[in-house]
Amino acid sequence: MRNTFHEQLEQLNIELIKMGALCEQAISAATKALLEGDLALGRQACELEQEIDQRERDIESQCMKLLLRQQPVAGDLRRVSAALRMISDMERIGDQASDIAEIARDVEDSRLCSAVPMADMARAAIAMVTDSVDAFVQGDLELARTVLREDDEVDDLFLRVREELISLISAGENGSVCLDLLMVAKYFERIGDHAVNIAEWVEYSLTGHHKGGK
Amino acid sequence: MTAKIFRNSMAVGISVFLLSVALFMGVLYQYFGDQLTQELETEAVLVARGVETLGQEYLEGLTTSSRVTWVAADGTVLYDSVADPAEMENHADREEIQQALRGSQGTAVRDSATLSQKTFYVARRLSDGTVIRLSSAQYTVVVLLLSMAQPLLVILVITLILAAVLASRLSKGIIKPIMELDLERPEECVTYDELVPFLTRIRRQNDTIRRQMEQLRQRGQEFTALTENMSEGFVLLDQKGHILTYNSGALKLLGAIPPGEEANVLTLDRSDAFRRCVERGLSGSRGQGQLERNGRCVQILADPVLREGTVAGAVLVLVDITDREQGEKMRREFTANVSHELKTPLTAISGMAEILKDGMVKAEDVPGFAQDIYKESQRLIALVEDIIHLSRLDEGGDDLHRESTDMLALARKVAGRIEPLAKQAGVSLAVAGASFTVQGIPSVLEEMVYNLCDNAVKYNRPGGTVTVSVSPGEKEGTVEVADTGIGIPAQDQQRVFERFYRVDKSHSKEIGGTGLGLSIVKHGAALHDARVELDSILGQGTAVRLIFPQ
Repeated sequence: MRNTFHEQLEQLNIELIKMGALCEQAISAATKALLEGDLALGRQACELEQEIDQRERDIESQCMKLLLRQQPVAGDLRRVSAALRMISDMERIGDQASDIAEIARDVEDSRLCSAVPMADMARAAIAMVTDSVDAFVQGDLELARTVLREDDEVDDLFLRVREELISLISAGENGSVCLDLLMVAKYFERIGDHAVNIAEWVEYSLTGHHKGGK
Repeated sequence: MTAKIFRNSMAVGISVFLLSVALFMGVLYQYFGDQLTQELETEAVLVARGVETLGQEYLEGLTTSSRVTWVAADGTVLYDSVADPAEMENHADREEIQQALRGSQGTAVRDSATLSQKTFYVARRLSDGTVIRLSSAQYTVVVLLLSMAQPLLVILVITLILAAVLASRLSKGIIKPIMELDLERPEECVTYDELVPFLTRIRRQNDTIRRQMEQLRQRGQEFTALTENMSEGFVLLDQKGHILTYNSGALKLLGAIPPGEEANVLTLDRSDAFRRCVERGLSGSRGQGQLERNGRCVQILADPVLREGTVAGAVLVLVDITDREQGEKMRREFTANVSHELKTPLTAISGMAEILKDGMVKAEDVPGFAQDIYKESQRLIALVEDIIHLSRLDEGGDDLHRESTDMLALARKVAGRIEPLAKQAGVSLAVAGASFTVQGIPSVLEEMVYNLCDNAVKYNRPGGTVTVSVSPGEKEGTVEVADTGIGIPAQDQQRVFERFYRVDKSHSKEIGGTGLGLSIVKHGAALHDARVELDSILGQGTAVRLIFPQ
């Protein structure tokens, strides 16, 4: 009985790793679509989003089964409940990646995109997602806390992008593209926030404290 | 074992005690019975004599512990020392009375109604025909035992304590040498003879185990040495994808941290390509894929491990193929370049020949066309020669004969060949230095120096100089070709040795050459274990040094 339980827990772990990998893939594809104008990658990001949604539902039912049939306690219970919360953050990351890909389809003028530090933002956001998934995979508390610090960097970058876009609009550049880019920047910033959430749930599953509380 | 020995010793102690009590009681009981009968008989004789003399009077004065009954010949009780004779029944049918009536004396033993007593009877016939009977009771064994219960219990407790102490000491004494056996060194143990074969066996098995452990350790070390010293990554998985073993090469190539015990392989890398590869390997077929990690190109090969036809796991091999990929890229570029370089003169030749064929050229222009065609075909020949040369150098130049070559003489010879070109370009050429020899292939060495001098003349300005200096050294001999020409921009200095690389692409046709000269120098130098150094300042000149080890 307990063996089955451990196997199911491990299976859950693997599924989460796979879902994390899909999220990373989706953001990279969306970012490339935006920065390099590769439409095929944009479509790929949208397809990945569907797959991520499907996986969220699968993992959710897997967690429910575990909770109901095995009634885990202590660390195992934390792990399952953290997984339940993590997948919704991952799903949001997937949504935002596909949103970025959609905007990328409409933004044909990549000149403006390179005028603002969008590539830096994308890199920072992807690094945060990678680190938060790594922290989960390796059970690395220190790495999870690094993600919390990295969020400030992405927030700063967002403010910088915003200011530069404002000055571009005042200089008479295409306003609608600038607004689209502002949306993209906001999405990256949100992705960063979701990565922080994931890192917090990793911290919770490892220590039992959520957001440093008791 | 101690407990068993203790139990057995205790059992022996207790059973000896019980048996001896039983035996003692049995023997004593019999003995007392006999004694009682004898006493009764003696007393009966005395009483009978007394009654014959004094009659009932004697009986009434008699004091004895036995019960005395006087019975008439018809069985009527005349006197009884305990009960009233009138109330007693007729005794004629009693066994001892009948015996006495028949003979002179009778005895009988009867259990009383309660079974707790046994009564002995002795009867004696008097001369007048009456019978005097004496009876005495003896308690049965059970009653006797009960009456002795207290001392017996005391003895039992003492026995138990003694037996316990002794049994415990005995069992410990037997066990002690066995407990003190050092099974690691059975040959040093002094113990019972019965245990010697057992110890010998253990010693042999110890030896076998030690040998096998040593072998295992050695094999483990060999395996670790093998996997740790290979630059390829290596990961062994079980059928569920848990990591069984891995080497540090795998971690380095994947940029992963050491995984925990029984960790899933996806903790090493979770990229799509890696996952697919592992899944293919675990499903029983061969998986292949490529990854980009830390700027390196990593190839993954996953092979299933089959045991009795079922997949028992998978072996992952990771290979750094960055260099190979770069080589492939260079070869592709080279092929494209060669085709392009060959096509340019051919197109020109073909075009001019076509115009000539169609008779569209005036007679006086024909020599000019012929000159152009000749020039282009010469260029083509030079190119093909260079390519052949280069491919021979690529193959290692094994078929070329090596001999001791004087570099100063060689430099002078090259200078002689290049002199007409230098004159044409208005460049002065000088050879200086002292002689040293190189064990090498003369034709290749000559080609190398020629190419350098050719470049020095071609990329010079009118009135410039080219100096070839040959200087022997203790460890290394140097041939330097220095010019006062146009120089090479810093960003191009590394790339001029690449095939077909031209610094000034727009004027290459006017200057001529194939773009392979310095590439041949580089390959020739490699063939002779020599180094090539290049110093150049844009607008001031270039110096190329060939440094040969001595």
